[in-house]
Amino acid sequence: MSPLPVSVVTGFLGSGKTTLLSRLLRDPALARTAVIVNEFGEVGLDHLLLEASDEEIVLLEGGCLCCQVRGDLVRTAGSLLERRARGAAAFDRIVIETTGLADPAPILHALMTDREIADALRLESVIATVDCAAGDATLDAHPQSVKQAALADRIVLTKADLADPAASGLGERLRRINPSAPQLAARHGAVDASRLFDGSPYDRPVENHESHAESGVTSFCLRRSEPLHAVTLSLFLQVLAEHCGAKLLRLKGLVGVVETPGRPAVIHGVQHVFHPPAWLEAWPDDDRTTRIVVISQGLDAGWLQDLLEVLDDEVKACSIS
Amino acid sequence: MSSHKAARVARVLSGALRVWGVSASVDRDPDRPDGCVLRTQSGVRMHIVPATPHGWLVFRDARGLETHAGLPGLLRSLRQELAPEAAAGRLIIGSQSLL
Repeated sequence: MSPLPVSVVTGFLGSGKTTLLSRLLRDPALARTAVIVNEFGEVGLDHLLLEASDEEIVLLEGGCLCCQVRGDLVRTAGSLLERRARGAAAFDRIVIETTGLADPAPILHALMTDREIADALRLESVIATVDCAAGDATLDAHPQSVKQAALADRIVLTKADLADPAASGLGERLRRINPSAPQLAARHGAVDASRLFDGSPYDRPVENHESHAESGVTSFCLRRSEPLHAVTLSLFLQVLAEHCGAKLLRLKGLVGVVETPGRPAVIHGVQHVFHPPAWLEAWPDDDRTTRIVVISQGLDAGWLQDLLEVLDDEVKACSIS
Repeated sequence: MSSHKAARVARVLSGALRVWGVSASVDRDPDRPDGCVLRTQSGVRMHIVPATPHGWLVFRDARGLETHAGLPGLLRSLRQELAPEAAAGRLIIGSQSLL
């Protein structure tokens, strides 16, 4: 059985996650969607706002999703999958709505690694909502909202009917935080679902982009024309995880590997947790340059580039050829 | 090791110290062009030079010689000594396929 796509909708309090989700669930393309929501506090307001149609909606009681993720989320997702397996629930996709205060990283870690659910699911996309009217102030005041945007595959600019994100500079600010995430404007909660749930984010080539720093988040692309030894890549990721785990928000790359000529490796990680590398059959375009996009809290591009080169020098010095 | 590579190693060590929040300097070693000298504000001083055929030798004023087979081990040792309170992570590879 092929893994089910699972997407995470995150975004700060009042940024329009539930409005967006409510509209999306009316789209026939998302009719067979199971939704896992949770609320922060005693009243499950988000749950009450969700319109139940053919979707399975599960409410996680008792607190913030990111804090209890190892237990509640895994148990809830596992229960949904079990009900689906015995024919008691019919859905082809799961969407998880986090609370506005949630750090999405532990949720992604659970989806990527937990033995009970990881094999049955495929992380499809992380969607962050940012309010066009209050987004700038939220980013200024709440570092958690910056992290939510930095970890996203796609950013939905909500309430674009109230304020123009281009005119306010919000769109450009978010591009500096997360240059690789496409931005979509939602007016009255409406956005094209096909652009949010359009397959794996890793199907898209990793794009080169310039270095940026914004709100404590730095993003840059490491490039290397020569392929790396597989051991170098492994050591590089180990060193990053060991010394920079919390500062490393997201890393994704397309890497030329000496041992698999013509078949680049796709790598992707959230902080210190990575998917197993996948090998493409061929490079997606004429560019054979290794490209590793790093979104971090304060890591320096030059340092990581030097680290990569020193590690590769060491591996070459040890290689028997 | 060329002076170019030695300078790169010095930059890597210097960058790691910044990540750990350690106030220190890393400079080329005037006595060993292929090595560098690490000095912390707290007074620790080490000479770090490449070993043959690979790895690193660390000489320090008080403790004598240490050897490391590669940069990852050297970095770990430096962090444990100079920044024991710095968070140490561990690479986790999940089971979920990317594609």
